[in-house]
Amino acid sequence: MLRLYRGLLALYPATYRDRFGAEMSAVFEEVYADATLQKPAARLALCLRETSGLLSGALREHLRLQSSAPISFPFPIRRIRMSKGFRFPKSTAFLMLLILAGVVIAINQGENISVSLATDPSIARSHVPHFNFVQDIAMMLGTVYAIGVAVWGVLFVLHRSGTHRLDDLSTEQK
Amino acid sequence: MALYDMSQEDIMQLLPLTEPVLLILLSLAGRPRHGYSILKDVEQMSEGRVVLSTGTLYGALRRLLDDDWIERFEEDDTSRGRQAYRLTPQGRKNLQLEIGRMQHLTRLANHRVAIKES
Repeated sequence: MLRLYRGLLALYPATYRDRFGAEMSAVFEEVYADATLQKPAARLALCLRETSGLLSGALREHLRLQSSAPISFPFPIRRIRMSKGFRFPKSTAFLMLLILAGVVIAINQGENISVSLATDPSIARSHVPHFNFVQDIAMMLGTVYAIGVAVWGVLFVLHRSGTHRLDDLSTEQK
Repeated sequence: MALYDMSQEDIMQLLPLTEPVLLILLSLAGRPRHGYSILKDVEQMSEGRVVLSTGTLYGALRRLLDDDWIERFEEDDTSRGRQAYRLTPQGRKNLQLEIGRMQHLTRLANHRVAIKES
């Protein structure tokens, strides 16, 4: 069991193992020594609890390391500190312009398509839509990507502005 | 951001604490303890309802250390690789804030239940 425990500890990030690995093993040895004096059911419960604890702990630490890694942006995101508890990123203006440009281009493209459909006699005769598989897939992926970037931008701006903290307002006087 | 430069308003956003974390902090409130002692004390305080694994315990201790709620405490006897932990002044203050929050909630709950019954 101790060998299995140390094997599972190896799933943790190296920095975490260096910091807590020896200590965790020492504590587990004590817990396991207690369990050997108990019934088999208690030992089985200990094994299951420790295995699931180590697996979920290792996963959580890896996710934490991934999420704490610095993210690079193609534009500066220096923040303007407007007031206590409220931060407004400079990138907001850029993102809003980007979204506005996307909407304007989409409207323009839509108008062009409707005009070409109305004036093209071949299309008017057949009423059969023309599909270009690769182009359509590329356009669909591009649209989904653009929508994703826009949604991410809005969520990023909302998060930076602290809107999500509004539901934490305390009614108690301090 | 470390907690020592956080305002009370910022700290309140970290509350409520989960039950295991609250029990770990309560365990360390009396005196410094090492990992095995914390495990046993948490189990005893919760009357066997909360039994922590070492993975869960050290995940919580890591977060509390990183946020300066607890700190390592040098013991005289380190022969068995034991490492003791204790609350920092900031951690004790945060624990008191959480207890105050729970007391306020309990008073409010008792008041509302009493109104409903009458």
